[in-house]
Amino acid sequence: MSLTPLDWLIIVLYLAGCMVAGLWMRRYVRGVEEFAVAGREMDVNLGIASLAATELGLVTIMYTAQLGFEKGLAGASVGVIMAFAFWFVGRTGFIIGPLRTAGVMTIPELFEKRFNVRVRWLAGLFVVLGGLLNMGIFLRLGGEFLVWATGMPPSWLEWVMTILLGLVLLYTALGGMLSVLVTDYLQFLVMGIGIVITSVLVLVNVGGLDLIASLQAAWQGQAGMKLNAHPFNPFHESSLGTGYLLWMVLCQLAAATTWQTVISRVLAAKDAATAKAMYRRTSFYFVGRFLLPGLWGAAAFVYFAQQGGLPEGTTSLTAMPQYLGALLPVGIIGIVIAAMLAAEMSTDSGYMLTWATVIYNDLISPCLKRPLSPSGRLLLTRLLVLGIGVFLLFYGLWYEMPGNAWDYLAVTGNIYLASVFTLLVAGLYWKRATARGAYAALILGAIGPITFLLIGKQYSIPPEVAGAAAFGLAALGMIAGSLLSPRPANQA
Amino acid sequence: MKDPFILFWAALIVGSVLWYGFLVFYVGIKAGRDIIQMIAALKRDHAASDRR
Repeated sequence: MSLTPLDWLIIVLYLAGCMVAGLWMRRYVRGVEEFAVAGREMDVNLGIASLAATELGLVTIMYTAQLGFEKGLAGASVGVIMAFAFWFVGRTGFIIGPLRTAGVMTIPELFEKRFNVRVRWLAGLFVVLGGLLNMGIFLRLGGEFLVWATGMPPSWLEWVMTILLGLVLLYTALGGMLSVLVTDYLQFLVMGIGIVITSVLVLVNVGGLDLIASLQAAWQGQAGMKLNAHPFNPFHESSLGTGYLLWMVLCQLAAATTWQTVISRVLAAKDAATAKAMYRRTSFYFVGRFLLPGLWGAAAFVYFAQQGGLPEGTTSLTAMPQYLGALLPVGIIGIVIAAMLAAEMSTDSGYMLTWATVIYNDLISPCLKRPLSPSGRLLLTRLLVLGIGVFLLFYGLWYEMPGNAWDYLAVTGNIYLASVFTLLVAGLYWKRATARGAYAALILGAIGPITFLLIGKQYSIPPEVAGAAAFGLAALGMIAGSLLSPRPANQA
Repeated sequence: MKDPFILFWAALIVGSVLWYGFLVFYVGIKAGRDIIQMIAALKRDHAASDRR
């Protein structure tokens, strides 16, 4: 499927609108407070739009569709768990309430108040390490979608990725969180329309009942391709399995309370009540975030099964965009490509800004003998955004994932999810927690995921073992380290 | 077809499509208003700091 002039017109109009809106907001940036947390002026509905746009990238659509292709609709169970985690946190204010009330700009900043500056620095290092490795595959997967959905030559992938990243860098580095919020809003609208249209067209194309019957036939080995996992029951041993789902409960609760790109919306909210309302109202969105692209992936499986198998060169990751390229009519594919570009841009901008803020706020700032001037801080944060963009381009081109995309993302996120989640829970709710316990939790929590990334492929370490071990080791480190050191000064 | 898992996923697919459609419409209008108010608040803050 190649794009027609009408499709290109839709895409160019969308990109131009985004750039104008993003650059327009630059005039309201006067300092780091506005650049990093939008002057803490964000209200609940803008928070929902921004959170939804940032946490649904083209990479999300690719890995959730891959889960749908490989595991049927059961692959979307992670989204159901994620929705419950967000609803629970929004209902109780667990962690996010005291975090917003503390008035910090990043999570590690809280650790200086609770423990000491060295804990803040070490936590900042793990947050950045996990975050950047996690983001490293975003551009590659986004580029893969565009190549397979539009039929463009694969040799264009690097150039398309570079131009797309350049556009995002321009408005993110100049306007910071203010530009990110406004462009997120536009991207939320375009993305939502694209996802609804695509889902309806997929359901019309394969037929809901036919899809279910075809997946069952494929699971029973009576179709053109064999589905190796139970397509509907996630607890079945061939599917995700109970152990994996239990790891996901812990992982998603930690992600909802410590994933810095999500938390940056909490910290930009007007107050804790606004942050909690934003979580509650966004929670069901996360079901669709996994289920609707998962539906496209499952439909792609049925489509290729009817064709007798995957064409040469097509994988479980690239089957969905290839299927959409064949399915979507002229004009609609332009809207869907614009929607996917919106998904990619909103995620890239939010993530680059977040990690740049943590690097400045928690790694560089504590090491400075004299604080920088406000304009110096702003310039340095902007340069960090640009530096992260360059890193993304090069890392995305050469790193090869051990396993499927979702497991890579979950495990790299786990590098800091387990340790920082443990520090937050202990720091906010356990008065006996000490800095020594915090060091032990940070280091032990990162061992499991880093081991998986380095040797997981050779030794077939299941991701749930690496992930769950990280949480167990981090908790053990925090408890043992704290009990083996003197009580904190205010507890003595 | 009466497998509870199948009914569960079918209900969630229909619910998700409707919810996304509603979110785009409802949050789209409300968040647009939030942006206008956020810009107004920033302008007020800047004017106040200029006066100081």
